[in-house]
Amino acid sequence: MARLIRTEKEVEGRYTEQWIVVEEDVLDQWPPGARRVVGRPAARVDGLERARGEAVYTADIQLPGMLHTAVLRSPHARARVTHLDLSAALEAPGVRASLGPEDSSVLVRDPGYPGAPVAALAADTFAQARAALALVAVEWEVLEPLLDPDEAIARGSVVSEASTEERGSVERGLAEANAIVEAEYRTQTVLHNALEPHQAVCAWEGDTLNVYISTQYIWGVRDEVAEHFDLAGDKVRVVCHYMGGGFGAKNNAGAYTFLAGELARRTGRPVRCALTRREENLATGNRNATIQRLRAGARADGTLTLLTGEFVNAVGFSGWSPSTGGPMQMLYACDNLQTVEHGAKLNTAPNAAFRAPGFVEGTFGLECLVDELAAKLDIDPLEFRRRNYAHSDLVDGRPFSSKNLLECYRRAEPHWERRHEVRARSKGPWRYGVGLASQIWYGGGGPPSYAWVRLGGDGRVTVVTAMQDIGTGSRTAMAQIAAEELGLPLDRIEVSLGDSARGPFASISAGSSTIPSMGPAVRAAAADAGRQLIEIAAQRHHLEERVLSLRDGNIVSADGGSWPIETITGLLEDGQILGKGARGPNPTGMRTLTFGVQIAEVGVDVETGEIRVERIAAIHDVGRVINPLGASSQVEGGIIQGIGHTLSEERLLDPRTGAVLTQTLDAYKLPTIADVPEIVTELVDEPDEHLTNLGSKGLGEPPIIPTSAAIANAIRDATGADIRSLPITRDEMLRALREARERSHQREQVEAPTS
Amino acid sequence: MLRDGLVQAEQLVELREVVPRGIEGSRIGAGTTLAELEVDPEIPETLREACARAASPQLRSMGTIGGNLLQATRCWYWRLQFPCFLHGGDRCHARQGEHREHAIFGNERCASAHPSDPAAALLALGASLRTTHRELGIADLYRLPDDADRSLTTLGPSELILELEVPPPEASIYLKAMDRRAWAFPLVGVAAARFADGVRVALSGVAPIPWLLAGPDELDRATPLPGTAYKVEIARALVRRALAAIDENR
Repeated sequence: MARLIRTEKEVEGRYTEQWIVVEEDVLDQWPPGARRVVGRPAARVDGLERARGEAVYTADIQLPGMLHTAVLRSPHARARVTHLDLSAALEAPGVRASLGPEDSSVLVRDPGYPGAPVAALAADTFAQARAALALVAVEWEVLEPLLDPDEAIARGSVVSEASTEERGSVERGLAEANAIVEAEYRTQTVLHNALEPHQAVCAWEGDTLNVYISTQYIWGVRDEVAEHFDLAGDKVRVVCHYMGGGFGAKNNAGAYTFLAGELARRTGRPVRCALTRREENLATGNRNATIQRLRAGARADGTLTLLTGEFVNAVGFSGWSPSTGGPMQMLYACDNLQTVEHGAKLNTAPNAAFRAPGFVEGTFGLECLVDELAAKLDIDPLEFRRRNYAHSDLVDGRPFSSKNLLECYRRAEPHWERRHEVRARSKGPWRYGVGLASQIWYGGGGPPSYAWVRLGGDGRVTVVTAMQDIGTGSRTAMAQIAAEELGLPLDRIEVSLGDSARGPFASISAGSSTIPSMGPAVRAAAADAGRQLIEIAAQRHHLEERVLSLRDGNIVSADGGSWPIETITGLLEDGQILGKGARGPNPTGMRTLTFGVQIAEVGVDVETGEIRVERIAAIHDVGRVINPLGASSQVEGGIIQGIGHTLSEERLLDPRTGAVLTQTLDAYKLPTIADVPEIVTELVDEPDEHLTNLGSKGLGEPPIIPTSAAIANAIRDATGADIRSLPITRDEMLRALREARERSHQREQVEAPTS
Repeated sequence: MLRDGLVQAEQLVELREVVPRGIEGSRIGAGTTLAELEVDPEIPETLREACARAASPQLRSMGTIGGNLLQATRCWYWRLQFPCFLHGGDRCHARQGEHREHAIFGNERCASAHPSDPAAALLALGASLRTTHRELGIADLYRLPDDADRSLTTLGPSELILELEVPPPEASIYLKAMDRRAWAFPLVGVAAARFADGVRVALSGVAPIPWLLAGPDELDRATPLPGTAYKVEIARALVRRALAAIDENR
């Protein structure tokens, strides 16, 4: 039965209260452990299509008469357009239409960051459109940009009010502490750089706008486009069958979609707007830089008495201030806490969600700080974390729907034990060490989300839902869930997704929510179809429904009878069994979070600053695991992206003009396969008994969260150098080593007279 | 350069017919690819290693040694067409700006860093070149820019490098520090080659042109920018290691 509830909805750590219609989740969870299909490794159901180049990505969409868009972007961080004349460009070969700031609300006359869109041209080919950009007559009044985040806060240039979180008393925490560590940590701006650039093809078909787009949220794009063009929601059809990565930067429609839609409207032709790699690096969002001024105090026995943090997010010209203080507020049981988070408004490109926004940055600061404190108290870092374990949610006292972080710590032990042997590898200029860091994050998903299951006369099953697989393998996981519920082999299941006109509403693929939001709906739909199949079979064979079940493609009777399901579905001929399922509500009064710990082994050449990450063990608790193979690939991807964030990636700006200096992939250094260490994945795989009919949480974001702190802590273990700034390039590593040498030299001088 | 808009061209001309390709004894055709050089046992180790550590396998299969010697700098200010000294402007924008990848030698007017790994190896080997116009030592291929002439090479208009002559050393090595394990330009590359009459050391990534080190003490006379001082530290370590590796008494 449908039920109207008022509930908290969480995406990427942001909560909103809203009314939601949910349907009761009546299915009992499967018992823990691997089932016939669920919980067993499955190769991607679309692997062959992808490998053969048959999968159609947005970049592959070619429509008759399609035009291509080039966008005139501001070369200045802050400027005013004093003169703009598009007429010469409109005369150029192949050019069909132009848009200026008066034609579209996404084009601006007063750009506030380099790369802000000012005008757009559509032409028969992309080369023609780009060549015509040079003919746009434009004059700029260049203004002084604001680039320094601390200065922005001091001047009141913010994207939102500061957010403060307090519990207990800072004074008491200070008074009770036997040791205090205070340090400033900095993280850099990093860019998503998904393999597939942001792009959309817009084509009007009568009064309907078809939007082919690389997106993490078909329904969000539908709503945004409908609003922008003042259309009814169902007059916008959004299609994304295959996707080359998003990482949070493709949660929204983006200016490129609105430009393509408007140019298509004006020309009556399909229009593509696809960003170049340079535009990707200029203007499609980023993980914003942070400054974190942190303090931690503890008793001699390691009990935390105090955590304080002042966080400055260098958000950009617009965007939102992610919860960089979140890990400090949530990870450890500490009675006295104060966090203040600022969001600086700057003349830099707006941020965008990027795989656990805020928590990646905040975990680097917190988990390095805690390690420094443990070292000061001479307490084993793993033991220190156990002693401050949070048994219930610290922000509002709610119990966790499930938490197996202690089990993660237990499984971390053999990896942590390796540190003695790893350190002993040190030889010549190479020093080896081991470090660890914990992870906390959301990832419980939520309603509403719907799925249908269609069982045809031939006994084949199609899961139909207008969700998207952003490259994570959710298509495969949904097929596994349906196969499990219907007692069918995986190859009997098709999954139809990626089209808002071909299925019911489905969740955004962000916030580690696809499996926990969509999986239960798919299972409910499959169960509904299965129930109907059994009803028909019972009538056909004059048996009671309760003695029948589905197994290995057969309808099996308790008395030994067995009939292939086609013998029943075949009775329908072209008719179909239609199952319908919805995501049920989240457990009330509980907090659903994901947890984990990573242990990194690194070597450092102390003469050249070279860092080699040799091994990372990742142990995460995300409830029931649907596909262990897909899960390990998520963990590997997260860790590799985390290594880039830790060691080599950084968007650099010219400090005077704010120009982005790293616009291409030779300057912006993503990790290569040669930089990838041995990665050991272990998942606790314990269903969350309170969460949905699956007990599964999401795993997209957790693996990237603790990587940088684990590596930084391993570097301290190896060399004694405190890492407080990312990325740890050669210059930063050598600087930290020099600082450590000077510190130990000073200590020796202080201690010398007494010895 | 075409894609960066630094060079405009209506037509591209295929040079394969006029530039020799292949290895014959100590002679290397300028059209020989890095991929061919890195696997040839006749090629001195410093050059083989410099080729093998450059770029990616795909790029090494396409890129020729002649082209590699003439690579333009990766300086982001120059690539983004800031009106810098190298582009004919009055000052180097990197000096006051972001310059962690930049020069520690010869950087008074322009702080860009030369990106070629093989150039340093060939400099250490004392290679010579034959062009369509002349024969010259590799050191004479390069020049530092000055007010009158901002170019970084001495090549004239329509002059093509045709062939390299590489004397065989008794021992040689190439060591490279970069921002990741593969497919990155050198922060510091150190090429060292030992001949009967002594050892030559050349560096990549440290000056607007490949840099021949007059002696180990020359690193004490480096002129790093605030953000490139770490390169001197790395160069010291790598030069010491390179010399130890090719020491005849080893």
